[in-house]
Amino acid sequence: MDVVEFHRVSFGHPGRPRILDDLTLNVRAGEVLALVGSSGAGKTTVLKLVNRLFLPDAGDVIVQGKNTREWDPIRLRRSAGYVIQEVGLFPHLTIAENVAVVPRLEGWSGDRIAVRVRELLELIGLEPAIYAGRWPDELSGGQRQRAGVARALAADPPVLLMDEPFGALDPITRRQLQNHFRGIQTRLGKAVILVTHDMAEAMALGDRIGVMQDGRLVWSGPSREILESDHPLVRQFVESVTPLRTSTEMPE
Amino acid sequence: MTSVLRFWIAHRQEVATLLGEHVLLVALSTAAAVAIGVPLGIFASRRPRLASPFLIASNVVQTVPSLAMFGFLLPIPLVGGVGARAALVVLVLYGLLPIVRSTIVGITGIDKSIREAGTAMGMTPRELLRQIELPLALPSIIAGIRVAAVVGVGSATIAAAIGAGGLGQYIYRGLSMVDSTVILAGAIPAAFLALVVDGGLLWLERQLSSRRRGRSRRAVAAAASLAALALAGSAALSARSSGAIVVGSKNFTEQLILGELLAQTIERDTGLQVERRLNLGGTLICDRALATGDIDVYVEYTGTALTAVFHKPPSSDRAAVTETVRTLYADSGRTLLPGLGYDNTFAILVRGTDARARGLRTIDDVAPLAPQWRAGFGYEFLERPDGYPGLAKAYGLTFRDPPHVMDLTLSYRALASGQVDLIAGDATAGLIRGLDLFQLEDNRRFFPPYDAAPVARSSTLLRYPQMKRALERLAGRITAADMREMNYAADALKENPADIARRFLEK
Repeated sequence: MDVVEFHRVSFGHPGRPRILDDLTLNVRAGEVLALVGSSGAGKTTVLKLVNRLFLPDAGDVIVQGKNTREWDPIRLRRSAGYVIQEVGLFPHLTIAENVAVVPRLEGWSGDRIAVRVRELLELIGLEPAIYAGRWPDELSGGQRQRAGVARALAADPPVLLMDEPFGALDPITRRQLQNHFRGIQTRLGKAVILVTHDMAEAMALGDRIGVMQDGRLVWSGPSREILESDHPLVRQFVESVTPLRTSTEMPE
Repeated sequence: MTSVLRFWIAHRQEVATLLGEHVLLVALSTAAAVAIGVPLGIFASRRPRLASPFLIASNVVQTVPSLAMFGFLLPIPLVGGVGARAALVVLVLYGLLPIVRSTIVGITGIDKSIREAGTAMGMTPRELLRQIELPLALPSIIAGIRVAAVVGVGSATIAAAIGAGGLGQYIYRGLSMVDSTVILAGAIPAAFLALVVDGGLLWLERQLSSRRRGRSRRAVAAAASLAALALAGSAALSARSSGAIVVGSKNFTEQLILGELLAQTIERDTGLQVERRLNLGGTLICDRALATGDIDVYVEYTGTALTAVFHKPPSSDRAAVTETVRTLYADSGRTLLPGLGYDNTFAILVRGTDARARGLRTIDDVAPLAPQWRAGFGYEFLERPDGYPGLAKAYGLTFRDPPHVMDLTLSYRALASGQVDLIAGDATAGLIRGLDLFQLEDNRRFFPPYDAAPVARSSTLLRYPQMKRALERLAGRITAADMREMNYAADALKENPADIARRFLEK
């Protein structure tokens, strides 16, 4: 079942070149779609169209069977977890409070929130007894990203939007977190859209990959097929993004 | 410094009252500025196009000197006039700028991605404001409140000019008495208060920027209680005690004593409740306060009313001046009551020893001696048409040198110590007696009359005829010598105006 669908979606700001042009894609439950492209390709805009930070100029975005134009934006956003690179945690709230933001907005009871926060911190590998009361700036970059994922999962949303979630981390931490996330995702079965400019990450985490350039989806398909694609733009793009890894590293 | 300490000990109750009034003025005005300024700042931060014109407007407000601001507001109903309410309005206007600015800076300074994260997580604009923006902007807002409160402590001293009370009262009183002890008695606690307020709010600011759990909720609670306090307090301050007669006065020694005289006379003879708004900042402020009904009565001088209030040319005809002024007052709903009995005119003074040795009585007697004498005059007297130029012409006076320009108060001492031989002082100055000076008679009636007389709102007199009768009984009771003696008691002997007035009435 498609949880997120884009039908011939175009989007732009008045007086500027179009950001998205006639984009069609879909994400099923339990599936990770990795969107790859250089900056300005329109990847982040795709995420913002899903949770109605933007509405399309043309075409339709359907989330859980309902057009985003018909969704109450607040309800829609609370059912789509959002993980943002680096800065997403609120600096004036503890880790536990950050994770509890959406459940609290949803009016959960204190007990239920406490149980859920502990469960999530354990899930993403932050020992609750140590980290629940810490402030964001007392954590390392990797720990902050874990907390960001826990926060996005807090109210158990069917959709997870991830914008360069592991982008600012050192390669070793990044690889650890990627593995950890893949394990979690197998258990939770969310519909995930992951935006990245790292082709290795896309191949490691994505069930499918979409390659974007100038607001268009130039290639999409199962991740294992991307290296075999003879689409000239994709080949060029793949090589320009990760010229070394494409030749030495194969997806598992 | 020891004299300041002695002053405080002698006046400890009054010091405590004035300090309390000062703190209340600053606390209420700052609270009201917060209650208005923070929402305004939030509003402006949402609309960048509004923010800059708004900041320009409040900058302009900030550059208006506070005394001028009190002047502007005087004739405006509801917010203007004299007393604590008008002072609060001005202090709130001054407090707004730093608070609005710091709110705008605090909110717009929040990292855009943090705000976006909140929105993306499904916060409504209201939830975003209360849970994210306000808590993050709070240290900046507190910093703005701190600036507003410290500026408020300073501006509140000026509020004494319109009878709002506070420590400024000592500063004004000291300035008019040229007594640095009294000035310091008000200035030192005001400076100390500013330091305490600054330090206290700085501490709060630090507390809030170091993170504490649940501080946003506490902040909201604190803001709400401040706002409630502001409302309750300003209601209490602005409510004029019903049925009370309000007596005003200008801001120099003689006027303070006269204000007490009127107040005590009304209290004794009628049993009506009297509120004192003494030490108002000058003729213009007293006149406007009387016109708007903020005060019911004060003592004016006929010549001053003629020239300064009604802008008529000066005249030396006593009866005509009184009649003109009485008519002009009557036309504007005010009543000039019978004169108190003395004329606070310019006094041409010589040393008592000279007067006795040479048998001097009038200014004419001096004219032949003038070419060997030196004169010292205040700047104002040298310039006014009813001052030295006219006087010299009327009496044909020429002195050895052109007259020395000197401070009016200092000129009394300069005469006594022989640096000059003739000065122009105030007829009722206490120092005339204190320094054994002699006032020459204005035998050619050059000076216009400055007969002291109470001016009251006609409507108040109609409502309380017993008050009119009481004030009429003061007619002709105070001689220039009496007034001099009372001024001397206040200026030289440092007695309290209220005690001086009581002693006079009990005579």
